[in-house]
Amino acid sequence: MKIDRRSFLGLGLGAAAGVALSPVGVKLTDDSSIWTQNWPWTPVPEDGKITYDRSVCSLCPGACGISVKKINGRPVKIEGLDDYPINNGGACPHGISGLQYLYDPARIKTPLKKNGNKFEKISWDEAISLVAQKLGEIRKSGTPESLGLITGADSGSMAQLFERFMDAFGSPNTYNMPSLESNLALTAAALHGADRNLGFDLDHSDFILSFGAAIIEGWGSPVACIQANASRRERKAKLVQVDYRLSNTANAADKIIAVKPGTEADLALGICAVLLAKNLIAGDVNTSAFAAMLAKEYTPEKVEAITGVKAADMEALAMEFIKAKAPVAVPGKGRGDVGQSLREFAAVQALNALADRLNKKGGVFVMYPADYLSFSENVMDDAAKQGASKAKLAGSVNELVDKLEKDGGLSALFIYNANPCYALNNPEKVKVAMDKVGFKVSFSSFMDETALRSDVVLPASIFLERLEDVVSGGGLAKTVVGLCRPMVKPIFDTKHPGDALILLAQAMGDSIAQSFSWNSYDACLEQVTGKIWDTLSGDGYVVIDDKPPVGTPATDFTFLASAPKAAVPMGEGDYTLVPVDKMRLAVGSMISSPFAVKIISDKVLSGKYSVVEINPATAGILKDGDIAVLKTAMGKALVKIGFNEGIMPGVIGMPRGLGHAFNNPYVAGKGVNVNDLIGPVIEPGSGLDAAFGIKATLSKA
Amino acid sequence: MSELENKANDGPEDGAHHGTDNGPKDDKGLGLGVIFFMGAFLVCFLSGWLLFPKLLYSKKEQPFNFDHKLHAEETGDCETCHFFREDGTFSGIPGLQACMECHTDEPMGESEDEAVFVEEYVAKGKEVPWLIYAKQPDCVFFSHAAHTVAGGMDCKTCHGHIGESSSSRPYEENRITGYSRDIWGKNIWGIKKNSWDRMKMDDCAECHLEKMGHKGYCFQCHK
Amino acid sequence: MVIDLDKCTGCGACMVSCMSENNVPFKEDESDKKLSITWMRVYKLTNGKSFPEAEIVYLPRPCQHCGGIGDHGHSPCVSVCPATATDYGYDTGIVSQIYTRCFGCRYCMGACPYHARHFNWWDPKWPEGMENYLSPNVSPRMRGVVEKCSFCYHRYQLAREQAIVEDREIEEKEYQTACTTACPAGAIVFGDLNNPAHKVHQIVKPDPHPDPMNHKVVGKSRNPKVFRLLERLGTNPKVYYMSDREWVRKAGDNYLKGEWENVKTHHGASSSHG
Repeated sequence: MKIDRRSFLGLGLGAAAGVALSPVGVKLTDDSSIWTQNWPWTPVPEDGKITYDRSVCSLCPGACGISVKKINGRPVKIEGLDDYPINNGGACPHGISGLQYLYDPARIKTPLKKNGNKFEKISWDEAISLVAQKLGEIRKSGTPESLGLITGADSGSMAQLFERFMDAFGSPNTYNMPSLESNLALTAAALHGADRNLGFDLDHSDFILSFGAAIIEGWGSPVACIQANASRRERKAKLVQVDYRLSNTANAADKIIAVKPGTEADLALGICAVLLAKNLIAGDVNTSAFAAMLAKEYTPEKVEAITGVKAADMEALAMEFIKAKAPVAVPGKGRGDVGQSLREFAAVQALNALADRLNKKGGVFVMYPADYLSFSENVMDDAAKQGASKAKLAGSVNELVDKLEKDGGLSALFIYNANPCYALNNPEKVKVAMDKVGFKVSFSSFMDETALRSDVVLPASIFLERLEDVVSGGGLAKTVVGLCRPMVKPIFDTKHPGDALILLAQAMGDSIAQSFSWNSYDACLEQVTGKIWDTLSGDGYVVIDDKPPVGTPATDFTFLASAPKAAVPMGEGDYTLVPVDKMRLAVGSMISSPFAVKIISDKVLSGKYSVVEINPATAGILKDGDIAVLKTAMGKALVKIGFNEGIMPGVIGMPRGLGHAFNNPYVAGKGVNVNDLIGPVIEPGSGLDAAFGIKATLSKA
Repeated sequence: MSELENKANDGPEDGAHHGTDNGPKDDKGLGLGVIFFMGAFLVCFLSGWLLFPKLLYSKKEQPFNFDHKLHAEETGDCETCHFFREDGTFSGIPGLQACMECHTDEPMGESEDEAVFVEEYVAKGKEVPWLIYAKQPDCVFFSHAAHTVAGGMDCKTCHGHIGESSSSRPYEENRITGYSRDIWGKNIWGIKKNSWDRMKMDDCAECHLEKMGHKGYCFQCHK
Repeated sequence: MVIDLDKCTGCGACMVSCMSENNVPFKEDESDKKLSITWMRVYKLTNGKSFPEAEIVYLPRPCQHCGGIGDHGHSPCVSVCPATATDYGYDTGIVSQIYTRCFGCRYCMGACPYHARHFNWWDPKWPEGMENYLSPNVSPRMRGVVEKCSFCYHRYQLAREQAIVEDREIEEKEYQTACTTACPAGAIVFGDLNNPAHKVHQIVKPDPHPDPMNHKVVGKSRNPKVFRLLERLGTNPKVYYMSDREWVRKAGDNYLKGEWENVKTHHGASSSHG
């Protein structure tokens, strides 16, 4: 008997039939199909108990209450907090993407020390002793005033802690980064008296005259303002936007008053002149020198020549403003932080004063800052008393940059919640100025442009990892103190900047240590918030005040009566380049998150190019979509042209917030930093950088 | 195979000689093929039934034995450990915290299993890595509330008599899919006798069809 | 859902909230918007005029959850899916998308008139550590799979669980999509279109009968300010838009000369119609 082909065939067929009729076929098919749906490289988030925790967002001065959804204690979503008096459940794209800041591997994970060109990781003990040692040397050399501080914190316990340190150390050289808050404080000081601030009661106004303020694009407390705008239809409240381009706010407004960029103050003064001439002002406002100046310099014809607004239109606007039941004028182009002048803010505030809108419902509140913190007496030794009483090196942070760049003057610098090497105009000069400072300590959470140039980094935990008081500000009419609470323990080896400061102070010993005798920042906060701590920690917020302040403050028009001059865009060129604020692009010390960068329109960021808006009427040979060379007295950059009918001819609008230069491919290396192209123009008297724009040329690349 | 070889040797001559005989040679050739066929068939068929499951599933043991019967007697019900949270979600398999409501660093009984639990997990604060028989893929959203509360179903219907067991049965893991054998069912054919024998999507659909007249919309059970 | 286009500021909070809620990934370069996955996308439309008559409207566009012609559940995407990875839920009117069934043929993307569907050309990749914020309520996808807005269905699932355990109905405020809760201006209103107690019904007042002028269309709004995108196609979307401005309502479709006049004055039938 031979085993031949047929038997093998039989064997094969038998096997096949056996397998086919066995469960193997069915089971393997099912198993394989399941296997194809196993995607082991795809994360499977762990499930668990859902809890909601409340905190306050600290990314921008808006101070919105947030609710953080957690799964088994792991934060997975941030939303607005419904019962929070500032934002009433609303949130902005940046706050919602807060978790991206928390978990970003680009965060600075440990303290760092600069070694040549690179950073090396060090422990907190090493870092604190290194900084304490360097600062100790400065004190020993008898020049404690050569320690400087550039801070972005305008209020709250952290701002006061840093000031306390500077005092105990013996230096007066604290400089605040420009912000709407500080601009408003400066205005209130110039017109009404020191130690005051301004709050705009937009929710109750029936006629909002906004001088370029990006009310629904990030001005002030963004969500609160968006909500004030959203309720206008029901409240029958009118919004008139003074603007040089069709911003989103201008688009939402009932009427647009087109003005040449940088002439908003002139229009405000022109309206003041109309009201004074027609004697429609509040009776008890002392205005003689001011009135005389206005009658001379701000006749309707003169204003028309400056701003481009027809005399008749301006008069009609003035009449509409004064006849409204509860009008209010709002200052601050765009977000109202940089490129602003005291002249402009004062002019708009003068209009509010003349129209008797001070401390009235729906008007502007002249407020005292929230006084809920009580620190014990600072312990200052003789060296500290002497140093702290010396004159400051400069009047403002921009003037400081000037001074440092020319002559130096600081031997050490703290940078907290600020990014001057990006956010100030002419960052190159800022970098040179900073290089003149021997020892720089950054408290940044991310390796931004300024941290890159520091000598030591004491990385701060971000707000989701911190306990801290967050005060409302930025032009909000109500005063609310919220408690930002930690949602998780610090993910990396970072510390609350308050703790870092306390450790540093204690390492320095003597009077400085005595001034900082708390065990921790958390203990300090509980102590200094004294009376309100129980409510603050229980409810999560305390409404200090939400009513118009009692009485009408006096207004001193001296500053305006001296007819301060407007800032003139420097340089030469056919165009005026003006930075444009976009809601989706963060500015200042905040860097846009990957989600925020993702939602930037391709008409704002096209590939790697910033898109500049120009009116097709003045585009010359340039076409929509062309790559062009944008040149100013400060430098040049490649940009993409985007035609926009809605921008005044002869003006180039360039988005702020792009062009970050550090190692993070998700959010940096895209577009151009418009600050690189604009040079500061210091306003005499206020020290503000009033450069709202600069002359520019465009040529095809 | 020797059985078959014998058959081949004893069988009729193969049908290789075409040209010479016109007799029943084809039957003889086919016969051998048929026998091979039947043999191979039987072997493969039986392997599929008996050997294949042994190869397909790897047997794993739980980290230590868990006595459900004992705990059910101690607590009186299933809900003490397997409960609905306030928001309606199901707590599932209790975490270490839940066990530690009763168990501390000191063993409560004398079993070796509890000793393991106390030493390796309670003392170290480590979560017990239970192997979950009923684990469904990530794409599945199963609402215990909808089934046990709204549907009035009993735990046993899907999970069997686990509450009455004194020991944890081994966890047989499908080597290809990574899921428990309980999903397809112990029977390699996928034939079930009791409702708790299987937990595939068509089992859910079958019950839905019977109880609600409709297999259900995708989003009801998936995410 | 009804979106008030006069309140929308174009801030994009809805876009970010949706991405955060639904484990949507992000790439290093998101400037090519054809490839950028944003379940909710805010479009910017203009009235085509020159300054100072120029006007802008921002239009948020989630998946429209179409009911298909006659509102019988034959959404354009559902009708073409060869794998039944997408299906119409008759209980909720929501079109589901099940990632494990989808094999990425993208037929649905071609069928959708609203560009509401997005394809994962690449595997989603989160920077190290960022996977920690992913939500277990939504399945993360792999490459080769289409994804789209689900009206935050997982929130409905969770709300139902609570309602079942407490033996009651779901309240209007318990099931709200992520975009709705995020919108700072309150421009988005979400709820049950068929429930007269819900705000969305009160604003939209959908006509349950087919439009006598176009039988494909069901649920046309009786509110003259409310319209749907490409309404005449008969996709019968669940997302309505509202605006005081006529040019915005006109922007909801491509109208040939003279067509707008007919549509402008014809709103959902009043109860006197058959």
